[in-house]
Parts: sequence; C-alpha cells; structure tokens
Amino acid sequence: MMGMVVRRLIQLPIILLVIYTVTFALAWALPGEAVVNDEGRQPPAAVLDAIERQYDLDSPYRFYYRYLYRVTGLRFVVEKMKGAEGNPGPYVFNLGPSLKYEDWNVNEIIGASLPVSVVLGLSAMIIAVGIGVGAGVLGALKPNSWLDLSTLLVALIGISLPSFVIGTVLLIVFPVWLGWGSVGGWGEPGQIIWPALTLSLPFAAYIARLTRMGMIDVLHSDYIRTARAKGVPEHGVILKHALKNAFLPVLSYLGPATAFAMTGSFVVEMVFNVPGMGQHFVDAVRGKDLFMIMGVTLIFSAMLVIFNLIVDVMYRWVDPRID
Amino acid sequence: MKKMLGVLFVLLVALGAAVAADRPLPKADLTIIERTEFNTLDPQRMSYIHDNRLSYAIYETLVRWDTYGDFGILPGLAQSWEVADGGVTYTFHLDPKGKWSNGDPVRASDFVFAWRRAMLPDTAADYSSLFFTIKGAEALFDWRSDQLEAYALLPERDRTAGAARELWDQTLAHANETVGMSAPDDHTLVVTLERPTAYFLDLCAFSPFNPVHPPTIERFTFLDRASGRIQQDYQWTKPRNIVCNGPYKPKSWKYKREMYLVRNPQFRDPSIGYADTIRIIPINDPNTSVLSYETGAGDWTTDVTVSYLADMLEQKKESERDNIHAFSTFGTYFWSFNCRPRLGDGRDNPFYDPAVRRAFTMAVNKQEIVDKVKRSGEKPAQVFVPRGSIKGFESPEGLHFDPVRAKQELESAGWIDRNGDGVPENAKGEPFPVVSMLYSTGSYHADIALAMGRMWKKHLGVEVSLDAKELKIYKDMLKKKDYMVARGGWFGDYGDPTTFLDLHKTGDGNNDRGYSDPKFDAMLERAANEVDAEQRLRVLEEAERYTMEETLPILPIWSYNYYYMYKPPLDKDGNPNLGGLRGISMHPRLVQYLWLLDVVDEEDVREAQRAKLAAGAEESAR
Repeated sequence: MMGMVVRRLIQLPIILLVIYTVTFALAWALPGEAVVNDEGRQPPAAVLDAIERQYDLDSPYRFYYRYLYRVTGLRFVVEKMKGAEGNPGPYVFNLGPSLKYEDWNVNEIIGASLPVSVVLGLSAMIIAVGIGVGAGVLGALKPNSWLDLSTLLVALIGISLPSFVIGTVLLIVFPVWLGWGSVGGWGEPGQIIWPALTLSLPFAAYIARLTRMGMIDVLHSDYIRTARAKGVPEHGVILKHALKNAFLPVLSYLGPATAFAMTGSFVVEMVFNVPGMGQHFVDAVRGKDLFMIMGVTLIFSAMLVIFNLIVDVMYRWVDPRID
Repeated sequence: MKKMLGVLFVLLVALGAAVAADRPLPKADLTIIERTEFNTLDPQRMSYIHDNRLSYAIYETLVRWDTYGDFGILPGLAQSWEVADGGVTYTFHLDPKGKWSNGDPVRASDFVFAWRRAMLPDTAADYSSLFFTIKGAEALFDWRSDQLEAYALLPERDRTAGAARELWDQTLAHANETVGMSAPDDHTLVVTLERPTAYFLDLCAFSPFNPVHPPTIERFTFLDRASGRIQQDYQWTKPRNIVCNGPYKPKSWKYKREMYLVRNPQFRDPSIGYADTIRIIPINDPNTSVLSYETGAGDWTTDVTVSYLADMLEQKKESERDNIHAFSTFGTYFWSFNCRPRLGDGRDNPFYDPAVRRAFTMAVNKQEIVDKVKRSGEKPAQVFVPRGSIKGFESPEGLHFDPVRAKQELESAGWIDRNGDGVPENAKGEPFPVVSMLYSTGSYHADIALAMGRMWKKHLGVEVSLDAKELKIYKDMLKKKDYMVARGGWFGDYGDPTTFLDLHKTGDGNNDRGYSDPKFDAMLERAANEVDAEQRLRVLEEAERYTMEETLPILPIWSYNYYYMYKPPLDKDGNPNLGGLRGISMHPRLVQYLWLLDVVDEEDVREAQRAKLAAGAEESAR
C-alpha cells in the first residue's frame, strides 16, 4: 500500500504539469484582453502596455516559464539563496496576482474561498450519504414496492432538476417565507444548511441508486442466507453484514464526488452568495483573469488526485481483501 | 462499519470546528448590500462607483459635495481656499486637526505625494487624465513613460537595482521641479493648473484626489529591476496595514464575504457619522441580492438589476411595496455608430455619413422603448449630457422620433429604394448592408436591439441582424471598431459637460466610435481656453448641439436610472419607520456619503412618540 501511495504522489507533479500546459494554451487563446476594464474608463494606452509587460501578458513563452518558475517555488528558493539582495515574496508557491480584483492575489483568494468550499462540500457529502444510503437501503428491502418507487422518483427529481431551480425554491420557501436561516452571508449554520442541501441532492440521488443496486445484489448472496440461518436478527443482517459490502461502490464514488462538490458548486454559490471557489472557475474565464484560471485549475486537479488517492487507501482499509 | 462511522464522526467534528472558528462579526449599525466585491481601496486606482463610495467613508479629501443641495462645494479637510492668477492658482488651507488613523498628522505634502502617484504611469491609474489639469502633470507622465521605455531597451546587465533607483530619483526631482504642486508648510497646499479649469474644485472632491499615507505606501513599494518601474504590493490596503484619514476605517475585509468598517478614533471631527459600525456584503447575483434584502440581511441594496424590476416598480405604484426606489442619475444609455470610413472587414461603412446616422436616430421611438421594453421608468434621452444634471448648462433639443424626416435623411444620403423591394439601394444599385447590432449577453440589450431593429426595418426598410457576444469579446470588438452599431453607456465623473463630451474627442481612450471631427475638437479646445465660465458653457452647449443634432456619433436612448432598495425613513403617517434609512441623496450625481446615512432605531421611534404625546398634551391643555 505504501508503494501505491508513493507512486501516486510522484505522478502528481507530472499530471499537474500536463494540466497546466493544456489549460495555459486554452486560456491564452481566449479572446479579449485581461487588463481592459469591462465597463467604464480605461487607463491610457501606455499604461495598459506597461501592465501587460509587467505580468508577461505580451509573450506567451515568457508567461509560461515565469509562471512555472514562481508556482513551483523555484523562484522563492532562488531569491532566498540570494540573501539580502533577493525578494522571495510572501509565498513559496506563488500563484500570482488577480487581474480583476487588484488588491488580492490568487493565493489569498484561494486561501479565503477554499475553506468555505470544503465546509460546503463536506456538509453536502455528509447529507448526501445520509439521504442516499437511507433511501437506497429502504428501496432495496422491498424492491418495486411503493416505498422503493417513491425513493426512486425522488432520486430522479434530484438528478434531473438543475440546482438553480432547487436552490431558488429552497431559498424562497425556507429563508424568505418561513424565516428559517438567512441568505447572503456565510458562517452561521442557518446560512450553510440550504446551500449544502441543494448541493447534496444530485449526489444523494446517485448514492441512493448505487446503494439500492448493491444491497439487492448482496441480499441474494450465500453469506446473507447463512447469517439469517444462524439466527442473526434482520436489522443486524442488513446493517452489519449486507451494507458493509453494498457500500463499496458508494465509497469509490465518494472520492471524485467530494472533490466535485467542493469545487463544482458554481451555481449553488451564485444562488446563495456563498464565497466559495466554484465561482472563480467561471468568473476567471469570463474575465480572462489568467492567473486565476491557472490557480483554480491547478488546485482543483491536485484535489481530485488526492481525493482519489484517499478513497483508494480507505477502500483497502475497509476491505482488506483488495490489494 | 464501525470504521466508517468513526470516519464520519471525525468529519463531523472537524466540520463543526471549522464553522465555529469562522464566525461572522456581529451585526453592524448599518448593513449595505453591494453589487460586487471592491476592486481596490487604493484611491488613486479607483474608478468603480462602489469603490468610490467606500473611499468617501475611509478617506477625506480637500473638499466635498453638497449632496443634498445643488452639488456645490463644501469644505472638507481644507477649511478654506483662495483662487488667484485668473483661476490658475489654488491655495488650500488644511485643518490642523486632520490625522491619519495611526495618529500621524495629515500634511499638505501627503496630497502632493498622492496626486503625483496618480500622474505617473507606474501606478496605472484609470484616472490619470483628470490630473492632467495640473501644470506639468501630462508632461511628467510622458517624460516618465519615455524614460521607462528607453530603460526597457537597455541590455540586461545595465538594468541593475542601482540604475532603476537612479531613474526614480531623477523622476522625483523632475516632478518637484516641473509639476505645479507644492506644500510650503504642513497645512498649506498650492496647486497651479495648466489653464483655468472651471471644475477643478469638483475634481478635488472626487475619490482619486484623496490623500494616502506616504510611509505606508513606501513600505509596500519596490523598484522592479527589469522594467525600472515603481511597483506596489497592494497588501497595504488590507485592514492590518491600511492607514486612512476618513471617519471610518476597515476592521475586517474578507474576500467576497464582507467589509466591516468601524469608527476611526483619530478622525478630526468625532461628531461625523451616525453608524458606529458599517458592514458591506457583496452579492453578485441580482436575484440573491434582492432576496437577501427581503430576509433582512441588509438595510440598503445599492443596485437592483433583477429582470423583474419592472414588476417591483409596478407593485410600488399600487402601494404593495415601499422599499424600491428609482433615481435618475448622471449617465446615458446609448448605441454607438461606427464612424470610421470602413468597417472591420474592409467594406464601406454606410454609417460614416452623418446623414445616415441622423436617419437611424430619428427612426427610433425612444418613448416606446422605455415604456414597453425597458419598463422601469427611465426618461428617454435626446442628448448625451443628462438634462438638468449640471448647473448652468442648457441642453439642446436633440433629434426626436420622426420617421418621415428619417426617410428623407436616408434618401439625401443616396439610399433610395430604387427597385421597389422596400430596401434602399445606393446609386450603384447595391442594397443597404444588413445592419449588424453588437451587444454583450446577459442583460436587457437584446430586447432593446430587437425593438430598435424592428423600427429601422419598418421606417427605413433596412435589414438587421443581432450579434450577441460575451462581455470580453464585445469589448474587444468595440476597441477594434469591428462593428456597425453597438450598445454603450457612460456615467459622468465630475460636474462639467466635458466629462461626457470628451468621449467624442479624436483619439480619446474611450472613443469607441472612432469619431473624429476637427470642428468638434476645435470647439472643445475653444472651451478649454475660455476664461469666462459662462461663455465656456455656451461653447460646450454648442458642442453638444452639434453632436446631438448634426453628427450623431451616438444614438442616446435614455438617461440611466439607479434602483435602490431600502425602507423609507417615514411611514405613511409621517412617523419614523423602524429600520428605515435616512439620508439618501437624490441628486442625479447620486453620491452617497456613508457617514450621512442613519438607520431609524427604536430610540428614534420612541422619541417621535414622546414628541407626539407632548404635542398632544399641549394641544389639550390649550
């Protein structure tokens, strides 16, 4: 197992380099100029040129290498070695400035929004596992009963309805009409629960399907019959023996799903004004904020790789037969 | 299973801890819902409305506007000033009580420092050009630009830290010698202008003219060896570093979450400011911003742009809602004509001919667009400078909707329907090219384009196509003049017609139309050299008339409105309304000083009740 972990960690930088190169090529090809204000007045042309030069926006080659030089921490190390002459800057891995929000750099923005996304994504996944596994088990106990069909229906709705519809409905019904929780801020549990619920529903639906299929399979296997024969009570059979194996496919889905919930929550963030990371994917591309595009893509890719690794490790831990 | 539950438990505890560790600050006395996050707190680099609004709370400049009156000039940090030498020399006398939030006195030299930043290309200020009214400022900008350009061409080994430093020292010396700003003592600022500028005091009230604290800026400034430029680390604007001189100072600034202001204990006049704490939440999504206002998250929503705005205004008309407010403001919504002889693809541009532009202008029924398409109470505009927004400036009539004259104008330009198919042709028999209308997606522009296109087809017989583009691409095409007609808009910055008219100047950075007219340029030049303020306005009126009745580089549609949400300060019976917002300025310039805003609290309501009771008792005693 250690071998696998080490191997994967060595692969990580290579994967990131490939992703960086592809993202850079795509982002550079975006039309428009990053330094031009979207609305309102523009600084003189000489100033715009100077800014472009400062950020290496005038040469793709220079941008590519200089960015790599900074983001890998090489620049930090080199400048540190120069001693008093050098200027290493505040960050080891420097993701550069934000071209749109001039007082912030990408490190700060990700540092502020990633924890929010992690809280939102984790809350959503916990809710999703709770709802999904519960509904899946109920459905599997009596396949094709009304209970099974109604959980199926709910799951179908959860998957098919886009989150801006679910989100807006939840927002209007609970905080606006009933006054439960509030909108527009972040930090209070009442502000976290509704976006988390909205974000969780599609995942919950998928988990319910996975659990139901897994349970139906497992409930027909020999060792369950043996358990029942030796007199294990029914709830023990289901929770202790059947669910343990039926949960494995859910577990392998949880890795990428968690990473996705933490970063792919653009719509939910917009509807509930959650200051998370998902919005930056869209905003940065729209504003051709190159440093921001690179920053969020690299962080997201790294997260995806690491979450998959964690799931693989957990897989082996839950089911020692796999190696 | 137990293992999984263990993991789940650990996750839940971690989550709970993360939420508990990141609690929001307590509710503030005044909570504002802004349309988006602030771009910068550096006054010299500001240009967005919400940035400016914040700057008036955390900085104090020489003078301020009378926002409840006619927008005249009131003393600020400068308690008095003299104008001499025929309007060229301004001497300001600063309040000696002025202090920075760290206790340092505000010195006249701090203004010299701040304004010089705005004049240098290094700072990349959006508003450098406003400072070019000051003597030697534009020359300094050019001088430094040339110097940096020459430096950038030097071989790598010559571009050393020492060389960059020497360059910077030269720049400072050059600025001291040539730019018309000086601080003979700590409380006296003398400014010499290039020529008399009627609106200079108005500029002095504008946010880029705020002072900054030089030691703080210098701490975060370094010389870039490669380019020779002075560069700044904008960490100086973060609450832990920033030093400001306004009635408030930032206590916490969380990206896209909140800006939290508290009173600046060092402010020279502790009586200023009603709220002790101000919280500003940026909410990008228009619908969410309205809904969060509805749930009581804020006292004032500064920019309502939801698609159901018209319905909200309708509800107000029927007294079902009292918290939406429309204000006419200092901006104009228009469509640009490409005024270059050729289009982006090399074809002849029919809109090069002013007669064609006049025809297209008169074929648009703006009243109908405002009433039936936009539906949110804007006033149709026939001119560029919003009517009545500048004291002493009489707007011309402009061109009104007149389909018959429109058709005649088009025919006078040679576009006549020669073969009876309804589409006008030129002398060579070529039909009028399909008019491509460029706009950015995600707003009401498509509806407006559809309506205008229909009118052009009906009254002029031309074919129209819509060209919707993402904002960045739209902007790029506009800059490259790669369009026929395109949507546009402009808000004025200072109380003078040139804040609008400069847009038509040949080569102006914001002249997206490529309009170039020596006659118009000469008029602006004449106005600039006119010493008599009255006479100067007459020249500018003529310039506005010329562009709005004869040459039409733009087709003005309406004067912009701004929509706020707040509870009115008084209820229907004239009693204080708990949670209502007092102090909103309704002048079209629409500058709101946050320290003049006051939320009606229980104390105000009780006081009013007591006063009422006392009045009642007096009445009955009589």
